[in-house]
Amino acid sequence: MARAGLYFAAVLAAVLCAGPFVWSLITAFKQNRDLYDPRNNPFLFNRPATPDHVLYLFSDTAFLTFAWNTLWVGALVVLITLAFSLPAAYALARLDRPWSGPLGIAIFLVYLVPPSLLFLSLSRMVVGVGLQDSTWSLVLIYPTITIPVSVWLLMGFLKTVPRDIEEQAMVDGYSRLGAFVRAVVPLVFPGIVAVVVFAFTLTASEFIYALAFVAPTHEMPVSTGVPTQLVRGDVFFWQSLQAATVLIALPMAFVFNLFLDRFIAGFTMGAVKG
Amino acid sequence: MNDDLPVTLRSRRDILRAAGLATLAASAGAACAREEGGGPTQPASTEAPRETFEDPRSRLSGELKILLWSHFVPSHDQWFDQFAKGWGAKVGVNVTVDHIDQAQIPTRIAAEVQAGQGHDVIQYIATLSQYEPSVLDLKDLVDEASKRWGSQLPLCRKSSFNPATGRFYAYSPGWVPDPGNYRKSLWTPVGFAGGPSTWDELLQGASEIKKSQGVQLGLGMSQEIDSNMILRALMWSYGASEQDENEKVVINSPETVAAVEFMTKLYQQAMTPEVFSWNAASNNQGLVAGKLSYIVNSISAWRTAQGSNPPVADDTYFVPALKGPKAALAAQHVLYNWIIPKHVKAVDNAKEFLLHYTANFASATYHSKLYDFCAWDGLTPNRKAWLESDPFGSNPKDKLKILVDAVPWSANIGHPGPASTAIGEVFNTFVIPNMFARAARGEASPQQVVSDAEKQITAIFDKWRAAGLVGG
Amino acid sequence: MKPRLADRPDTLAWLFLLPSVLYIVVLVAVPFVLAIAFALSDVSAGDPSYDFVGTRNFERAFDDPVFWKSLGNTFVFTLVSMVLIVVLGKVLANILVADFRGKWVIRFLVLLPWTTPVALSSISWLWLLDSIYSPIDWVLRELGILGAGENLYWLGQPGLAMTSVIAVHVWRLTPLAAVIMMAGLVAIPSDINEAAKVDGAGYWRRMFEITVPLVLPVAAVAALFGAIFTFTDMAVVRVLTRGGPNDATQVLASWAFYRGIEGGDVAQGAAVALFLFPLLLAAAVGILRVVRRIEVG
Repeated sequence: MARAGLYFAAVLAAVLCAGPFVWSLITAFKQNRDLYDPRNNPFLFNRPATPDHVLYLFSDTAFLTFAWNTLWVGALVVLITLAFSLPAAYALARLDRPWSGPLGIAIFLVYLVPPSLLFLSLSRMVVGVGLQDSTWSLVLIYPTITIPVSVWLLMGFLKTVPRDIEEQAMVDGYSRLGAFVRAVVPLVFPGIVAVVVFAFTLTASEFIYALAFVAPTHEMPVSTGVPTQLVRGDVFFWQSLQAATVLIALPMAFVFNLFLDRFIAGFTMGAVKG
Repeated sequence: MNDDLPVTLRSRRDILRAAGLATLAASAGAACAREEGGGPTQPASTEAPRETFEDPRSRLSGELKILLWSHFVPSHDQWFDQFAKGWGAKVGVNVTVDHIDQAQIPTRIAAEVQAGQGHDVIQYIATLSQYEPSVLDLKDLVDEASKRWGSQLPLCRKSSFNPATGRFYAYSPGWVPDPGNYRKSLWTPVGFAGGPSTWDELLQGASEIKKSQGVQLGLGMSQEIDSNMILRALMWSYGASEQDENEKVVINSPETVAAVEFMTKLYQQAMTPEVFSWNAASNNQGLVAGKLSYIVNSISAWRTAQGSNPPVADDTYFVPALKGPKAALAAQHVLYNWIIPKHVKAVDNAKEFLLHYTANFASATYHSKLYDFCAWDGLTPNRKAWLESDPFGSNPKDKLKILVDAVPWSANIGHPGPASTAIGEVFNTFVIPNMFARAARGEASPQQVVSDAEKQITAIFDKWRAAGLVGG
Repeated sequence: MKPRLADRPDTLAWLFLLPSVLYIVVLVAVPFVLAIAFALSDVSAGDPSYDFVGTRNFERAFDDPVFWKSLGNTFVFTLVSMVLIVVLGKVLANILVADFRGKWVIRFLVLLPWTTPVALSSISWLWLLDSIYSPIDWVLRELGILGAGENLYWLGQPGLAMTSVIAVHVWRLTPLAAVIMMAGLVAIPSDINEAAKVDGAGYWRRMFEITVPLVLPVAAVAALFGAIFTFTDMAVVRVLTRGGPNDATQVLASWAFYRGIEGGDVAQGAAVALFLFPLLLAAAVGILRVVRRIEVG
């Protein structure tokens, strides 16, 4: 009974979350005369399917360049985020300095200013360091969005690690730094995975900074490049837009799911050992 | 567009592209039907005008970075990029062209102005008066253009010149008219085979079509650009306006109230609540779906339908602005503004390019599939012939001929005064569509909504007047 | 013996923190102070020169009915979204940590909304909620809930438009909340749970005495950040409704954008955007303190 309920809930959640993508996938292969007829079943091909609109994405837009830019910017931002936020979170959560409370809160304040305005003054700084119209400007700016939330998330995870684990490691001859790297970091692996997923997707989604700092087509990430080439005045290239959505969403979800596997597996192994 | 990419990046992209195409071709092997009607790209015709070239007035060198919108005709952008680069090669200037989605251009300009760095010349599809303090006065450019080609279309001049400061904050070489688009097969049975010609005919015919054929009228009252345009057209036709010639706020008038009352009636008899939900693409799509009897739009909806749904395109016809009690006026659909920010060094390059571009406006008109019209009519001598015999597959071929004389029934945003920073903010915060929408929904009386709108508009005008940018 | 550098907590703490703090101070604090300065000035999109004007921009905002409407909408949008995201995220997390066949596929499908860049997914929703073509309406028509040729006009009716905007936002953020809570659930050392089970603690007691306190810090932080992101977010609004119909979905972030960037009055936009800053600050500090106290206790 409970099992049936679980399956029902799981399938329902999957349908609600992925339903639009099923529709996107079908639409991407629809002919115009099929799509632009409101009497047609939107989930079936009422005329033969066509790959033309998907191919258009590759032949007439810089879609692959956009995807590549999003990918490498995201990867670098994730690395920078982890390199900065892991030590910071450890210091705030574990090293017991009196100023760690206020500082933690101060880091949080970053979010209270909407990026819809912050970009104006940030664009001066981007020009100041000579990165305007370069995708590297995004590598520089995006960690400001991802580091604070990652610090706080990791602090939460670090607090679930029992203190005796570090103490044991130090008794075993590691320095404090060594204990952090060897004993603590592996234990917050779930938190690190959460940060990776979070930082990458946040980066891929951002568009105001991307818009303000990067104008050349071949430097744009997906979130500004695709609308630029497929939303033309009051004409939307719907099928190609849907194709772009699906082509971005599926691989990302696939890779993240592999990550999630790792963290669940890692955890279960640890539990068996413990 | 990719010429300046490093070789490594280009080759990597080629590999990626090839791999992507191969995967797709394989996966699409089973479903290999072609798009009926040629897909998103349509073949271009071959009678493009010859391009002219005149030596610049001074020796040029260095760079020129251009930013403009992604034109709704993709092949226009390809033409433009080639055209700009070709000019650069002749005069010794390294030209780069960037396109972005038009909705994102104001954000981009704001960032560049704040940073004091960016593109040398930027084009937008509406007035850019709010940037006046940060852009060059282009009077010399307009004077030179007028010396060469005669007087500029007043509509364009009023959308690039601020009489309060005497400065040309932009250069406006082109515009796009905003005719009515109607479905002939729906209007013929109700006795208007030639489409409506007055607002009263529109009310009568559209109500009848809705009653007898279940197809509604499509004039937006939403927070988007087409609604902004059409509702102003209605106001002008009733003799109402936001401001007078001297930039005084005059919206609170019996004429505005009458226009609001008329729109409310039109909504109740001929429309559905969809008109409150629209974005700029909605009326195009509704027309193509056969769900709308009449819309006001540029020719883009119809041009797209030529590829995506030819029977609908063939059934779509155009009418000029509808006559109201006082006038027959429509807003321009698009008004090209080119600005050169003050921080720009390559000023001469930018100005010479704009002159060269204007001199070749016939090509712009042609490659935009007769979408772009020139502010100097003499520069597009074939325009009339093209409109009367469309080179891009209109059926019948003379469908666009009503656009030959579009100037007398077109007006700038801000008419009868100039477009200004205040008018721009009123436009961008959707005061006019919301005024009409509140009355149409019955949330408040026409008198009330007009006086509420007056309050908002007056506050905006007072603010910019205090900043010295608005007269009156 | 002098302890080695790697063993001195004080130095280490500084070494660990300094990079992040510097990064944020340089790249955010400076622009942030500038944003406050904007709100007290007459800076416009076209005129970046600075003149101090005191609180004039705030007074103008208070005189503007759209401002008050946006303020109300912001609260509705944020509160309703957050409650739904936290509740649905917890439910989803519980489903995803359970063991059943096909969970890999389910998890993959559930992740999709969050992994799609919002600029693209909201464009998809624009069509899904279209006034004529909406596939949702088509399904409702097939089910007989709507009559032939009828549509709901999702984005055209004030109540439905707000519902749509919230639904899309919740759809997009719930998977993220689920992943974060899942990580929190997974991170609870299972021996604690086992020990409690041995002690005879029932499901609900374990839930409230072990799971909730241990997950709470992570969940609370996730919720707080989610709320702030929602508060300052305008991606969905900007694509779906641009604040319409008749400003029924206008929120402070979008209103600040339309006034400040599109309308050109940067100073006014800054005042609108920063209006709630003191309130948010107080709320955030309060919540974070409570979270810390729970952790200590």
